[in-house]
Amino acid sequence: MSHNDHSVELRPKLVGERVKRTEDPRFLTGVGRYVDDMSPAGMLHVALRRSDQPHARIIGIDVGEAFSVPGVVAIYDASDLDKDVKPAIPTSRMPGYYATPIWPLARGKVRYVGEPVVAIVAESRYAAEDALEHINIEYEPLPFAIRQVDAVKDDAPLLHEEAGTNTIIRREFKRGDVDTAFENAPVTVKGRFRMTRKTAVAMENRSYLAEWDQRKQSLTLHTSSGSPGIIRDVLSGCLDLPGTRLRVIAPDVGGSFGAKGSLYSEEMLVCILARKLARPVKYVSDRLEDLSGTSQAFDELIEAELAVTQDGTLIGLRADVIGDVGAYSIYPWTAALETVQVVSFLPGPYRMEHYRGRIRGVLTPKPPTGPYRGVGRPSSTFAMERLIEMAARKIGMDPVEFRRRNLVRAEEFPYRTASGIIWDKSAFQECLQGACDFVDYPNLVRERDAARKAGRWVGIGLASYAELTGIGSRISVAPGMPINTGTETSRIEIDATGAITAAFGLSSHGQGLETTLAQVIVDELGCKLEDIEVKHGDSSLVPMSSGTYASRSAVLGGGAATLAARVVKAKVLRAAAYLMEQSIEDLDIYDGIIASRNSNQTLTLKEVASAVYTQMGRIPRDQREDLTASETYDPYLGTACSSTHLTMVEVDTETYGVRILRYVVAEDCGKIINPMIVDGQVHGAVAQGIGAALLEEIVHDDQGQVVTASLADYLVPVATSVPNIGIVHIEADLPNNVGGFRGMGEGGTIGAPAAVANAVSDALSHLGVSVETLPVTPERIFQMLRDTNTPRSANST
Amino acid sequence: MKPAPFDYLAAKSISEAVEALAASGGDGKIIAGGQSLMPMINFRLVKPTILVDINRIGGLDRIEKHDDRLRIGATVRHHMTATDVLVFEHLPILQDAMHHVAHLTVRNRGTFCGSVCHADPAAEMPMMTLLLNGTITAWSVRGERQIAASDFFLGSLVNALEPDEFVTSIEIDTLKPDTGWGFEEFSRRQGDFALACAATTLRIEDGVARSVRFALMGVGETPLRLAAIEEIIDGKTVSESLLDQVSEALNDFLQPNTDLHASADYRRHLAGALARRALRDAWKRADLRKGKTDD
Repeated sequence: MSHNDHSVELRPKLVGERVKRTEDPRFLTGVGRYVDDMSPAGMLHVALRRSDQPHARIIGIDVGEAFSVPGVVAIYDASDLDKDVKPAIPTSRMPGYYATPIWPLARGKVRYVGEPVVAIVAESRYAAEDALEHINIEYEPLPFAIRQVDAVKDDAPLLHEEAGTNTIIRREFKRGDVDTAFENAPVTVKGRFRMTRKTAVAMENRSYLAEWDQRKQSLTLHTSSGSPGIIRDVLSGCLDLPGTRLRVIAPDVGGSFGAKGSLYSEEMLVCILARKLARPVKYVSDRLEDLSGTSQAFDELIEAELAVTQDGTLIGLRADVIGDVGAYSIYPWTAALETVQVVSFLPGPYRMEHYRGRIRGVLTPKPPTGPYRGVGRPSSTFAMERLIEMAARKIGMDPVEFRRRNLVRAEEFPYRTASGIIWDKSAFQECLQGACDFVDYPNLVRERDAARKAGRWVGIGLASYAELTGIGSRISVAPGMPINTGTETSRIEIDATGAITAAFGLSSHGQGLETTLAQVIVDELGCKLEDIEVKHGDSSLVPMSSGTYASRSAVLGGGAATLAARVVKAKVLRAAAYLMEQSIEDLDIYDGIIASRNSNQTLTLKEVASAVYTQMGRIPRDQREDLTASETYDPYLGTACSSTHLTMVEVDTETYGVRILRYVVAEDCGKIINPMIVDGQVHGAVAQGIGAALLEEIVHDDQGQVVTASLADYLVPVATSVPNIGIVHIEADLPNNVGGFRGMGEGGTIGAPAAVANAVSDALSHLGVSVETLPVTPERIFQMLRDTNTPRSANST
Repeated sequence: MKPAPFDYLAAKSISEAVEALAASGGDGKIIAGGQSLMPMINFRLVKPTILVDINRIGGLDRIEKHDDRLRIGATVRHHMTATDVLVFEHLPILQDAMHHVAHLTVRNRGTFCGSVCHADPAAEMPMMTLLLNGTITAWSVRGERQIAASDFFLGSLVNALEPDEFVTSIEIDTLKPDTGWGFEEFSRRQGDFALACAATTLRIEDGVARSVRFALMGVGETPLRLAAIEEIIDGKTVSESLLDQVSEALNDFLQPNTDLHASADYRRHLAGALARRALRDAWKRADLRKGKTDD
């Protein structure tokens, strides 16, 4: 194909179009198929007795009359399953790290309220739950430290004695001479920032169904997972089954937000029980279990300090972070995933010569933290962007101008951050400008000032950040994790009917990948969108896949699809060239029709497929080749996705309720495959970030009990919590990867908490208080204002 | 999160329902909308031996006006109350309150009477029943009895019904045409239970407030009708200094709980702020409606 051929170049492309999601008809008409929709004959249900103790030795388990409940089939504790499974070990290359083994049920002791202890298998979930009431577990309570500041102390009670410490993660990044930089700094600001514990609250709770095939001695696990390939690989070891006898399928999955990307005890459990009982076994988490047993997020205490010059140049940054990782290091990501990224991303998209960031990740008797949309960066961006606005305020500079002076400029890319991350070229400055232009920033400032004069508490806040997306094999997505996260495979096949199957190990659990990957293939292969069936979420489709997480699937999946489509296209054209007696250079394919520039003759893809596969002798034996390809893509490095969020909020002067008046996101996600899906990702992620900023907090009391055990107490954003969100797409220089895509599924949750925190702080600035803890609830504002003893006058003096 | 086993009866008449309740020996529960009961049953916080469904009993799904009162039947859904023309004409404050009741799906099923019986101290309908001098009609095998709203709410989620009684209807005052009202609620999200809420009605006669009703919720074990506050306002002009007096009185008087979402001190502060707003609104509206009569 010639790039000088304008007739080809001008053909409409699907990449960049607002193509309606091909998934939506089945979701919107209620015919999606989730794990809970599956009920194979003879299926059994599992209910779990979970620990009501934060830390205790299991002395004895009495099943009482549980077997007398009609329908109860079996009851297990950990000791019954010892011979059936090996634990999953979330290994890491990090020095000083301890990998907590992961078992299906608690062994010997329990380490958080909600940890599974006893499994009851019954003909119905009702019967299983009826039987649960008969189970008595005798515990010997053990001492514990529920807060990270206590758990980190040398004499704190140990959660895992084998580790010899609760601090299983330690990491430090440094560059330059930060202490000297601070000694000589004309201006410093500091804060003690707390991003409280959150949980993802996917609409579909975690659900697992295992089927044992007695004939083939093989197991199929249907799981609401974002990473079926990883689950297959780890369970192969735990269950001692080769991949040929272990298939892991993620059917339609109702959201993950990161939380369904890890291995769970219940996932192991249903597999063991299905094999043991030779019957299908299903476990569906209810909302109560989801809020106490699904991986949680953040929970960091960040003491950070920023040094700047009087003219607003960043000099140095130092931070000491304690991350509360919960009771276990999660498989495969480990407890380093969330914690280490807080300090590796803390310097943000800014030039920073002197930096030291330390993290300690400590075990506490809470559910493990794990991947959650944004990972680490919602916390680091919150702390850094608060410091940025505090410093701007202190030197009397507009926070936009302050950022403009310090964001890495176009000519400085690639820029190596103080922690060693490489920012390839991305529109840092342009996003800041784009957000400001969208709202007419100078006018918005005047609007705010006028509102303040009228006694209203109105504030503007920004957040600029960059994230590393589409990461290849040079570094692991989770620091120190030995599992390859740098490649993805696409297998594209045209069959004898001319239909095209594109298979991926990735899973799509809300991202719309069935649509976007098909768009990419249409443009590369020249076929029709409706001829493509995108298959995903099944470990049997490709040899290895780690799944959808870390804003990687557009980059890695799109890249692999592009490479495979190119190979298949070349095969189609070779066959067509023979059939049409044309030179291959003169042929091209568009909309499923192969045409030659030198004749009026055309062939359809279907005709070529038929000639290749079903019409005997049509193509000579030595030239005939199947129209298939399997290609693996490794972008090697990652690419920076950058953004600025800008919001204006109003705090009610009496109730302290926060209302978001304006919100805009300007982002650079490289080449946009489908602007409608990108908009949806931004809207959803900003809503989630607003939840983190204003509403959501998992609370454990001093007794170690979770007190946010229902959605009446764990408050997720509702429609009225979310404003209209303006979006500015900035497609600057494309990244150097196949396709030019950047990952963009996470960004909104990274920017929104910081932007809202800054805006609320701005609104309250005349009262001498600012936001250090998220969510910033009316109660927290009340307490802050009371503590300052400031007269509650609306007018600043 | 599955309920313990229970029997189910779709009662066709009040007498069938009360007989089933009596036969259950106190372990039966009435179900109409189920919006509070079902979660409690699914959490196994409540384990009734029998659920007596009253949705098929005729005549309970009506809102009727009798003189100065509205009678709301036991199966009247929140959505019906929110869109009822009698409520629109005669109880605009109830319409305001309805904007704060949960979400549409809940309003489509949940009932006015069920909410009152549930007696959540942070729910709107119990407070409105108290504010509007409600009378609760309850039936049992012993027959019918009336309970004044002021005697009905005994504690958080505790009402004055006997275990074998159920509510067939509730009567509340309508507002006279010259009555102003204010309803101010604050919750974490639209539709959540109130952190605090103030509701008030008053008329202006000769430049001063009369016929004052004032109630709060979310700041005690039950909704509160506060005669002491009504007395402070009665016979006075609602001015900022009067409002200061009201919030000071509330500050001295209220003993709210501390929970996950709000401390006692914040709730007290909030109650004062919302009371001021509600009273300002009521005064403004009463001023606009001054002199209006039924004709």
